[in-house]
Amino acid sequence: MFETISNFVAAFLTLSIFSFLYKDNPFYKFAEALLVGVSMGYAIPLVYENVFMPYVYTPIFLNHKFIIILPALLGMLYMFRFSKNLGWLSRYPIVFGMAIIGMSIPMSLHSSVLVQMRSAMLPIDNINTALIFIGTVTILLYFFFSKAHKGVYGKVTNVGIWFMMIGFGASFGYTVMARVSLLIGRIQFLLGDWLGLIK
Amino acid sequence: MNKNKNVIKLFDRMQNIDRRYIYIVVALSIIIPLLIPFNSRTYVTKPTEDIYKKIDSFAGDETKAILMSFTHDASTMPELFPMEVSVLRHCFERNIKVFTICWLPAAAPLVDYALNTAKEDFDVQSGVDYCNFGYKPYVLRLPIMLGMGDDISKAVETDSQGRKVENLEIMKNIKNYDDMNLVVDFAGSSSAITWITYARARFGANIAAGVTAVMVADNYPYLQTGQLMGIFRGLKGAAEYEKLVDVFAAYESEDYPNGRPFSKEIIKETRVPITGDTVPYKYKKARIGMNAQSIAHIMMIFFILLGNIGYFITRKKEL
Repeated sequence: MFETISNFVAAFLTLSIFSFLYKDNPFYKFAEALLVGVSMGYAIPLVYENVFMPYVYTPIFLNHKFIIILPALLGMLYMFRFSKNLGWLSRYPIVFGMAIIGMSIPMSLHSSVLVQMRSAMLPIDNINTALIFIGTVTILLYFFFSKAHKGVYGKVTNVGIWFMMIGFGASFGYTVMARVSLLIGRIQFLLGDWLGLIK
Repeated sequence: MNKNKNVIKLFDRMQNIDRRYIYIVVALSIIIPLLIPFNSRTYVTKPTEDIYKKIDSFAGDETKAILMSFTHDASTMPELFPMEVSVLRHCFERNIKVFTICWLPAAAPLVDYALNTAKEDFDVQSGVDYCNFGYKPYVLRLPIMLGMGDDISKAVETDSQGRKVENLEIMKNIKNYDDMNLVVDFAGSSSAITWITYARARFGANIAAGVTAVMVADNYPYLQTGQLMGIFRGLKGAAEYEKLVDVFAAYESEDYPNGRPFSKEIIKETRVPITGDTVPYKYKKARIGMNAQSIAHIMMIFFILLGNIGYFITRKKEL
């Protein structure tokens, strides 16, 4: 019974969102506002239960680890974002956030730069490595703006443009695929879970 | 001459067609293949195959486990949910310890939904065969990731039911990434890169990604460098894994009562019918979806060609 009712509600909201394809209307606006409200309403108690209780309340009030008061106070400085005069206080917790980013630099450098470079320096013994080599070099040259893209140099950078266009095409193809998949998911729900037409 | 004029007129009218007619055609190209499913062939690609082989290598091993990390909400469910159910089914079929964790409040019910969907057909127990660490705040992702490299039960103290992780039976022989040796991150973003940066670069954990198709291109460089040992690519990746589980993990015969080992020849030769009742709907959802995906793609290619022909013909007229 509960499943039937929840499926009806979900189907109504799905169709309300789809109705935007015809034109903007109150059903669409209602479903959109409901989504935002429900997401926030759902997240607040969950975060309270999973963050505030185990990481602030329990250690301070039950386990008497009073040192936790310091980071809790620091976190509360974020609230001053809403004040015009004391907004600068919110920068202090941001500074700590930046420190974490600093910590990630050496490891990010390893995985996103060094390992990538090592893989781009393989012996050119097949068509794939040859393509990777030509693509990497020509695209890097394209982004070298201290020299005018003219003559032979311009022709080489043009090859880089072709590589990038193919890359964008592949990305766009995947994007279309993803969007169609989402539509398939919703139609599977409407036809299968709601109407029971897919077995 | 008149004929040419008529063709130009037709293309002129088509270029100004109300886009809502195109929406109807797109909808029909998806609805019809879903209502009338057909047995299309699912080709399994290497990145999916590699994940299957890695997970399967843990079969029946008490000292190994996998971690499924959910970093998405319901908006990417059509692509990611079939992957998650297939991986869980694989683990339950082959007696592989599996942990789940999520980083977004909206992902918590999705983990439960995936576990409940997959465990219906198996005699598995929470805390023994699988363990859901539950929702952990995204801000704690970094300390948890790094902490798991030393001691999982210290990094994640309690599971979703509030039980102490260190007391759970599943934790026997499982201490850190040496034992929980594969992390599969399901996301509609590049969040697998965070696992690569912290869990792989520092502790040598194997990382795989299940991503929406739109994020595949971003993750490819990491696959090419071997930092990702495999990748599920959108709905196609989910369909491939569904097939692999059907053909190997869920296979039963006298010789192989609990599934059979992976073989390239078998997967090439075997076609699993998705019409009929041989496979439950929940385990072939991605493959049925791929039927619709294929038709929608053909239709789009047709429209792109038609649009370009129309563009060149009308441009010629203007010249």
